[in-house]
Amino acid sequence: MIPVFLGVAILTFFVGNAAGNPIDLIRAGLRNPSPAVLKALQSYYHLDQPVWMRFLYWLWDLNHGNLGVSISGRPVLSQIGPWTFTTLELQILSLVLAVAIGIPIGVFSAKHQYSKVDYTITTVAIFGYSMPTFWLGIMLIIVFSFYLGWLPSNGAVSVSYPWWGSWVLDPIAHLILPTAVLTYVSLATIVRLVRANMLEVLRQDYILAARASGLSERTVTYRYALRNAISPVVTIIGLGFGAALAGAPALETTFSWPGLGYAFTQAALALDIPLVQGITIVITVMVLVANLVTDLVYAVLDPRVTVQ
Amino acid sequence: MAWRRFRRNKSGLIGSAIVIFFILVALVGPYLVAYPPRSYQSLYEGDAGDPPSFKHPFGVEISGIDVFSETVDSTRNDLYVGLTATLITTLIGVAIGAVAGYFKGAVSDILLGVTQMFFVVPVLLLILLFARVFSVLVFKGLGLTLIVLILSFFGWSGIAFIVRGETLRLKETEFVQAARSLGARPIRLLFRHIVPNILSPVIVIATLDIAGFILTEVVVSFLGFGDPNTSTWGLLLNEGFPYVRTTWWVALFPGLAVVFCVLGFNLMGDGLSDALNPRLRE
Amino acid sequence: MDGKLLEILNLRTYFFTEAGVVKALDGVLLEIDKGESVGLVGESGSGKSVTAQSVLRIVPRPGRIVGGSVKFEGEELLTKNEDEMRKLRGPKMAIVFQDPTTSLNPLYTVEKQLTDILMLHRDLSREDASKQALHLLDRVGIQDPERRLKAYPHELSGGMKQRIAIARALSCDPVLLFADEPTTNLDVTIQAQVLELLKQLQKELNMTMVMITHDMGIIADMTERVTVLYAGKVMEVAATPTLFKSPKHPYTEALLKAIPSVKQTRTLEVIPGNIPNLIEPPTGCVFHPRCKYAKDVCVKKEPELEKVTVGHFAACHFWRELELEGKRD
Repeated sequence: MIPVFLGVAILTFFVGNAAGNPIDLIRAGLRNPSPAVLKALQSYYHLDQPVWMRFLYWLWDLNHGNLGVSISGRPVLSQIGPWTFTTLELQILSLVLAVAIGIPIGVFSAKHQYSKVDYTITTVAIFGYSMPTFWLGIMLIIVFSFYLGWLPSNGAVSVSYPWWGSWVLDPIAHLILPTAVLTYVSLATIVRLVRANMLEVLRQDYILAARASGLSERTVTYRYALRNAISPVVTIIGLGFGAALAGAPALETTFSWPGLGYAFTQAALALDIPLVQGITIVITVMVLVANLVTDLVYAVLDPRVTVQ
Repeated sequence: MAWRRFRRNKSGLIGSAIVIFFILVALVGPYLVAYPPRSYQSLYEGDAGDPPSFKHPFGVEISGIDVFSETVDSTRNDLYVGLTATLITTLIGVAIGAVAGYFKGAVSDILLGVTQMFFVVPVLLLILLFARVFSVLVFKGLGLTLIVLILSFFGWSGIAFIVRGETLRLKETEFVQAARSLGARPIRLLFRHIVPNILSPVIVIATLDIAGFILTEVVVSFLGFGDPNTSTWGLLLNEGFPYVRTTWWVALFPGLAVVFCVLGFNLMGDGLSDALNPRLRE
Repeated sequence: MDGKLLEILNLRTYFFTEAGVVKALDGVLLEIDKGESVGLVGESGSGKSVTAQSVLRIVPRPGRIVGGSVKFEGEELLTKNEDEMRKLRGPKMAIVFQDPTTSLNPLYTVEKQLTDILMLHRDLSREDASKQALHLLDRVGIQDPERRLKAYPHELSGGMKQRIAIARALSCDPVLLFADEPTTNLDVTIQAQVLELLKQLQKELNMTMVMITHDMGIIADMTERVTVLYAGKVMEVAATPTLFKSPKHPYTEALLKAIPSVKQTRTLEVIPGNIPNLIEPPTGCVFHPRCKYAKDVCVKKEPELEKVTVGHFAACHFWRELELEGKRD
């Protein structure tokens, strides 16, 4: 895991540097900070040192939880907290919903292969992962926000007047559309995967043997077949979380959702390299943690696997 | 024989039909549409911001760009990105995967580690970063090709993993052992015996990758990290989004084009997967 | 008990695949008395396994029983509903599958797989079921059963896994046991042990056993009566010694000739051709394309199962005329 982290760090830093050091960028008129900030940034980034020295300084800072200072003058770390929470709020809720809904649908679809319901489910699923997530978001905004006016179209909370007349319900109202979009797209992948694995497992001899022993259909389907089919799904869920996280920029931009993705996009466009680097590191860490958790869960589920 | 199975797979055929349709549009379409790419002509015709009509089947952007012409013109570019990126990543992935799977020792371990890194990492973020940095400061003239290169740089790890797995598996099979016992050298083994046998999964993954790369390009362009001078569906969405309240057609139609194009490749990939996979023989 | 334990009449089981309708069983006849040890022999694809699956009614999709009658202990099985069938599976009839690596669930311990069945059919608590499972492992000759009970299938050898599969099949004392190629996937030395075990258990428990195999050697060793199956149809039925000494069907003769013999030195005769396409089976006698005695009528008319003598039937137009070679050892 460490090598992966280092690799990402290297890539991020050196490419960021290719953008030119912050001072030049600032001077190029992208921002107009005060002379004091300029000076602070200059010494802070050790701009008198060669590139690889700066890289080491940066890693050292990272190690101590210091994510640097963005072009705007504010330290990166202070802003990342709320952003992370906002992004995770959306991601985790969607993931939980997608798994809770997706697995039963996938099982059902596999058991009723070739039926009309199966074809419908498969078709809906395949549309789901053929569309850009954010585009579905835009379409839903058009219908539910602009046309029907039922749901808000941007932000995580309202500024002046709470939706549905309550400050408690307001965040929920804002969550509905982006969650619906993300859940649907994640669902599509999960349903497809669970269905495929279940079909594979249901063909195995030990399922036939379980039926031959008189075990009930429900036991065979859930305790035997699903248990066997689920392991690869767990891995994919872990990877999917990483993918969804990486896809956050577009979805959050669509909904002006103030999370890491939205912040990343703005920062990258403005070439605010320290901020970009900081966010990338944070997201990478989250993805790595997700993968670690996935590996552990996988090892628990499948006794044939030993944890390294 | 696998061709016969593919022919029977309804969804695979539908997907192929869709793909062929889009290829035709890409090849011939730009010559048939009313307005040239990136043209604001409609502005001068007084049609800016018009909803769909006979003259403008997909409506007009606020800036005067005809959405239908642009969508058709973009087909060529989006397919270019998808196909080229897939081609490059397949070549890289097969090469790295085969070498990593066949040889033992430090080389193989390092390759595996690098592949893992590129696989796990949130690649889109790095793609966006690279795209922004390089397009602004370094390679100004490359346009979409820059995007293709960046996508290729980050996108080969999936294929590499699969190829590595298959190579490992095939290495132990009897026909490879037989060839080795007859004195075949590693390179010959790799290319004559192993690679032809991994073609099936590679073809399937490549087809699905085309879909994936098109989707990625759409995201990249939508966020504003693409090439503002080349028509792509993502660019259309980027231009349409700020005004979507009034000119919603700008977001709808290019998006539909993306959905169906990607759907086509996905269906085709699924059909190929069914046809090429040795399944139960009743 | 009066009458047969199992009576299968004109059983037809088809598989409805994308490529066409595969007629896996097309008119199978089988009769078994209680306590008998019967063989069901044929090449792969002849329908042997499907017969067992059809009796227990666990034919996997896209297969379906489309016609015929299966009477067990006098009762018609094909009209029973799923709940009724489930009560029979395990306590009354069971199957030992061919490959123990795939017939045991890799994710569950041996204990869990056995106790699940025991708790279901015998209404035992988990502890009692575990004790019973231990007893079962002992009965099938497994050393150190306590440790094996807690093991996962992948930790055990092939022979041991098959013994466990046998234990599972016998866990509820079934009356009828189908052994579907139980030794085909095992080492030769282990094969003998497992076959011995089956023979011993059958005697001890007075079980009716159907030995499904393609190996005539096993038939000779383990069975009293034999049914020869080809392409989903019955070719010949006879007592085992009779079948070997004086077969009345060309396919049986060919099967016998394909057994290598230690005593005689002769070239092994291979049956030419392949098993037929079950979607479009040959017309007339289904064996005619590979039969060296085939005549015109064999292509046109399907032979019926005719009585040769008591307990001996053959489905061939020329069983009276043909002087077929049997085996003397």
